[in-house]
Amino acid sequence: MTDTLTDTATKPSSARRFWSHYSSTSPITLTILALILGFVIGAIIIMVTSPAVLDSWRHTSHHLGDIGSSLKVSFDSVAAAYRAMITGSILDPTLFVHSISTGHGWDTTLTPISETLTYATPLVIASIGVGIAFQTGIFNIGANGQAIIGGIAGTAVGSMIHCPTIIHLPLTLLAGIAGGAVCGLVPGLLKAYTGAHEVIVTLMFNYVCNAFLLYALTETALQAPNQANDLSRNVDSTAILAPIFGTKSGLRVSYGIFVAAAVVVLAIWFLKRSSLGFDFRITGANPNAARASGINPKFVVIAVFLVSGGLAGLAGGVQMMSTTHYIDGGFLIGNAGIGFTAITIALLGRLQPMGIMWGSLLFAALNVGGRAMQAATGIPLDLATIIQSIVVLFVASPVLIKEIYRLRSGAESFQMATKGWSS
Amino acid sequence: MEFVSTTLAALAEADLVLEVRAPVGRRRAIGALTVLLGLFIVVAFGFGSISGAHSQFTFTPVNTSSGAPWSLGALTVLTRWWNVALGLITVAIGAETWWRRPAGALARFGVGGIIFFFTLLLWAGRQPGPDQTSSINLTSVLIGSSAIAMVLIYGSLSGVLCERSGVVNIAIEGQFIGGALAGAMVDSVTNSFWLAALVGILIGGLIGWLLALLAVRYIADQIIIGVVIVTLLGAMSSYLNIQVLAPYPNLNVGNNPSNVAIPLLYKIPILGPVLFNQNMFFYAAIVLVALVSFGLFRTRWGLRVRSVGEHPKAAESVGINVARVRYTTVILGGAVAGLGGVAFIAVQGQFQPGITSGFGYIALAAMIFGKWKPSGAVVASILFGVSAYLVDALQSYSTPIPTELLQMFPYLITIAVVAGLIGRVRAPASDGVPYKRD
Repeated sequence: MTDTLTDTATKPSSARRFWSHYSSTSPITLTILALILGFVIGAIIIMVTSPAVLDSWRHTSHHLGDIGSSLKVSFDSVAAAYRAMITGSILDPTLFVHSISTGHGWDTTLTPISETLTYATPLVIASIGVGIAFQTGIFNIGANGQAIIGGIAGTAVGSMIHCPTIIHLPLTLLAGIAGGAVCGLVPGLLKAYTGAHEVIVTLMFNYVCNAFLLYALTETALQAPNQANDLSRNVDSTAILAPIFGTKSGLRVSYGIFVAAAVVVLAIWFLKRSSLGFDFRITGANPNAARASGINPKFVVIAVFLVSGGLAGLAGGVQMMSTTHYIDGGFLIGNAGIGFTAITIALLGRLQPMGIMWGSLLFAALNVGGRAMQAATGIPLDLATIIQSIVVLFVASPVLIKEIYRLRSGAESFQMATKGWSS
Repeated sequence: MEFVSTTLAALAEADLVLEVRAPVGRRRAIGALTVLLGLFIVVAFGFGSISGAHSQFTFTPVNTSSGAPWSLGALTVLTRWWNVALGLITVAIGAETWWRRPAGALARFGVGGIIFFFTLLLWAGRQPGPDQTSSINLTSVLIGSSAIAMVLIYGSLSGVLCERSGVVNIAIEGQFIGGALAGAMVDSVTNSFWLAALVGILIGGLIGWLLALLAVRYIADQIIIGVVIVTLLGAMSSYLNIQVLAPYPNLNVGNNPSNVAIPLLYKIPILGPVLFNQNMFFYAAIVLVALVSFGLFRTRWGLRVRSVGEHPKAAESVGINVARVRYTTVILGGAVAGLGGVAFIAVQGQFQPGITSGFGYIALAAMIFGKWKPSGAVVASILFGVSAYLVDALQSYSTPIPTELLQMFPYLITIAVVAGLIGRVRAPASDGVPYKRD
């Protein structure tokens, strides 16, 4: 209090005010600082494992000076890697200038941003689902399984029912939601009526859903006809989310981004304006107060799992409808799996729909850019996941960031989402 | 009067005071379920196989380089009557559980589950039958199961240590990955699994330290931290695999440690090759179980760990440094899981990304199934190991139930246990709750 008084009294310079704002650790500052740390550690990993450094370890391991000089060389590979990451996920300036001056080649210029948006679409949806659960104090670690079941349901409806687009498309989306919701309902019911901890139930359910995916793709009518591998039928053209710029342009960004945008808007409305959303948030903030004010905790747990699972299922459906139009045995398992990525994005976005949207775009850009980086420099795409994990480790422990940067105060530890197994 | 005695009997199991609430019904339910399982075996796999069909067992292990047991010939059995007999044994186990409601009801159900898979294997391998695979090598089945069980024992012991001190270690999978990668590299360079084990312990301990640092000192959410550590280690191992192991294949040669046969004992048929002719990691796992069990329940250190996990405030009021106890226990737990990662490499040979394929999470389930006790964790690890191996073995047969659905079995059982549908487990009271000093 006294600090603020003296500050206003002496009218500090703008630089000082900026410093004071920076060191008071707003959530955005913390996130940016965590990002910087993530990229710095990523750079160190690139340097230490670059071929130049590895070679000097092998050949002249007794001359430490050689390692120093090869570290300098590998500095360049860091720059090249991060440059490739940015140009590969957002915009390549040279291509952009070329397109501007000649009016041609826009498809190539826009491909990176189109890929980023495509990658981000299911992430936004699934992460908002996880975020809503978090806000209710529920840890939905099973978004992966729910998305898989959503994808299976969407594929089933999309490939086995035949009707005009106006019915088929919404029906397929709804099937995805229903699949995920059913899959989320089980942990919800168990938590509500037996007190089973949702983390362990949803974790186990991921494996159950994975096994079910393989079953559905090899033993049921979902498997493509005359196919021995775990590959599903293709969905009808009436049930796909088509590319916005047509298939000729090669830009994959599809109408799925409008589904994601709708989910963002609806989630903001739901959490801020709807009474069920209010019940959710109150329960998350203080379960006892919620119960005392007449909110049925059992109902809330089941409802939040329906919403969260439904969104995860929708994410699975949209992923299938907007990119591959079929599913296989490796559906949604790439990298760390969409469920775990969704958890990290929800935390990065501080559980708010808008924050999650930006977080998804960032993580999608990291992954798409990581692919470009791998192609250009040979540095494995996994670096993107490493950076993501490190960023989230820091975001989840703000007190640590505060210590690293010697910030003044205000860093509140992330609100505990779960409190042990047995609660 | 009978009510009083049952209540006292339940109270006597000091670890599970909560079960006083409804032990009778749940254990009865487990018994009834086991009886149903047995009846199913009798009907489906017993009378479901044609009369006169037979299955054949063999007993000589495939790899006899470090000494073969006394040889037994092949045993040919009538599939129908053996399955009927095994089913009836399951019924008897269930009836006993129903009648006596013992503390080990869950383990008895697990035995029923193993008999289920075993009879299914007998049924699937029957001759004349749908498949040509003519004999079932019982010793190989047990050796294969023991390898999985060993890894799960390391993981679940790590979980027991951490969670008894009040820190949820969901990062077991990450410690497995770290230990496996480091172990593969060190062993390839030095050709010594002892050094590999040492480095695996160090790496696992380091990851445990990271978990403890963020969870205990920086009061971050333990489950979130654990999940992210697994993701980080997974990505890290995949990255290093491409960037380092691929260009330098001599860092990942994939040795297997030679077996250490215990004189004479290894010659016992069936049991000898499984228990007394194994690699050092298997014996180390057995020693570790004894050590952790003794340490947690018979030493002052163990009492401190448990008190910190149950009621940190009370522990602190008698002068125990809660943070320090949690730090050391979580680092220790990480080291155990790291060693488990090296054990993985000892079984599998070369390191590959995704090699641990979720075993860390199954170990977590085994720990819960084993009610946060080392002995329980061992039983659960064996049950899960055997069922995982048998499901795998069944994939080469045409079974009436798709193997993909059988794969769900351990997970569904764990869910049922956590939900208290069968059995009831209780975590340490302060498990996962960070401790802030006032």
